[in-house]
Amino acid sequence: MKISGIKYLTNQGIENIWKNKMMAFATFCVLLISLLLVGCSVLFYINMNSMILGLGNQNEIAVYVETDTPQERVDEIGEQLRNIENVGTVTYISKKEAYERMQNQISQGKEIFDYINDYQFMPDGFSVTVIDNEQLRATVDAITRIENIQSADSSPQVAEFLRELRRVVTLIASAAIVALAAVSMIMISNTTKASVFSRREEIQIMKYVGATNAFIRTPFFVEGLVTGFFSGAGAFFITWAIYRSVYNIIVAQGMLINAFGAGSIIPFADIRVPCGLAYLFVGSLVGAFGSVVSTRKHLDV
Amino acid sequence: MVELQNVSVTYAGGVDALNNVSLKINDGDFAFVVGSSGAGKSTMIKLLLKEIDATSGVVTVNGYNLSKLKKRKIPEFRRTLGFVFQDFRLIPSMTVYENIAFVLRVLDAPLKYIRKRVPYVISLVGLHAKTNSYPDELSGGEKQRVAIARALVNDPQLIIADEPTGNIDPELSYEIVELLKGINDQGTTILMVTHEHDLVRHFGGRIINITNGEIVYDEVVTGTNSEILPEVELAQAMENAARQNHNYPMPESDMYDNSTPYVDDVIAAITSTAANQGGAEE
Repeated sequence: MKISGIKYLTNQGIENIWKNKMMAFATFCVLLISLLLVGCSVLFYINMNSMILGLGNQNEIAVYVETDTPQERVDEIGEQLRNIENVGTVTYISKKEAYERMQNQISQGKEIFDYINDYQFMPDGFSVTVIDNEQLRATVDAITRIENIQSADSSPQVAEFLRELRRVVTLIASAAIVALAAVSMIMISNTTKASVFSRREEIQIMKYVGATNAFIRTPFFVEGLVTGFFSGAGAFFITWAIYRSVYNIIVAQGMLINAFGAGSIIPFADIRVPCGLAYLFVGSLVGAFGSVVSTRKHLDV
Repeated sequence: MVELQNVSVTYAGGVDALNNVSLKINDGDFAFVVGSSGAGKSTMIKLLLKEIDATSGVVTVNGYNLSKLKKRKIPEFRRTLGFVFQDFRLIPSMTVYENIAFVLRVLDAPLKYIRKRVPYVISLVGLHAKTNSYPDELSGGEKQRVAIARALVNDPQLIIADEPTGNIDPELSYEIVELLKGINDQGTTILMVTHEHDLVRHFGGRIINITNGEIVYDEVVTGTNSEILPEVELAQAMENAARQNHNYPMPESDMYDNSTPYVDDVIAAITSTAANQGGAEE
């Protein structure tokens, strides 16, 4: 086909949106609502996951160095810890800090410390957080293999609980997203079918004058693509507005931050680009193919 | 060229729409296909457009053997045809110009050619003033002229017109057939299906009468517009041919409205009277 032919079919697709504006608007709305439903569910799941990971990050590994280890070696151990895969943050806790912590923890027996009054018996230590809580045990094992490490304590029960929680959340969220996606597909399919059905005679006439299926489908493809693209853009801006409002309320009131850790709720700025691209891509794809597939039934003339 | 060789069509319900029909329409012919409702005319049109396949026999149109034509070749075949339907079948969202130009777009014709050819064809059917009108803004006669222009624009070898005058005023019907005759004079083969025997009588030409899925009459007659063959003579000729091929009377459903003096009315009346007389004598 010549370039002028492709240009003609593309223009036809765009013109058809205006010529069939009511049906195009219906398709736009259905696509927009479907994208919003699925998109918001995905964003909710991503944030839930992030919050669970935030909880996991608070599950520290307490690493104790042998008491007679020289300071140079302690510094080396700090470096070694940072080099271990899956280690997130490594915070050095000096003998003195450890002593003060212990004082605070045993607040009812402060008198004991009056007798001791020397922190040199305390070991140097590190507070280590992990990136992936699932690999907590392997990380602890790697830490204990380092020379001069007296012990590395973690709470595997917390890790196990978080793993289970994440699994359940993933399962429920996946089921909800799949169900919403299925409902959306049915809605979109019915709307595009209705849109194409209203133009079935037009398709038949095109067949009679010798148009190929590709020739007939191309304007429908362009029409669906453009409608889907704008639905995606609309869904993105609505999501942006809703997300920012909810995020601002949560941050302003300090909700969830204490429990799940700062940064566990993802700011929209961090996901703006992938979110926008996903909306535009999925919207265009579903719009274009929904439209093309719906023509199939009417092409057999 | 259109050729049907021993073609039969039986629908899924077991209805025989065409029964061993053989027919040849040469290039440049103008043929009327007449017959009552359910006679098999529409089935024949569907066959010629490759909408349906023959149960048996061979259908050849413009050199394409439709019995063997692959699905992907159908668009190529249809581009050699022009069609005009009773219900016009214009694309409502396109203007007169766009409807006609669409055929050339399908053929991927150069833009320059489209810009030259379409206005020319529009002027041929006398609709220059309506170039940018939408089908909804046109009268029935105008719509049909647009349909004819569309059928004509790709310079087809054959134009199939299925009841092209069915939805328009009787006086306009003559104009439409005149137009088709004019196109035929330029060498395009025309196959026109019609119920309107007044038109057939008026214009004459090759007349093919299909009854109960069979061709019962296929002759060239001279039209009454040249005052050669009177109405009753034409009716009698067709009736004789029908009786030679069939020993059954015309269906009663075709004994229609007396206000419309169609050839079939005359035939049915004669046949019915003859049958009644025969019955009474027995």
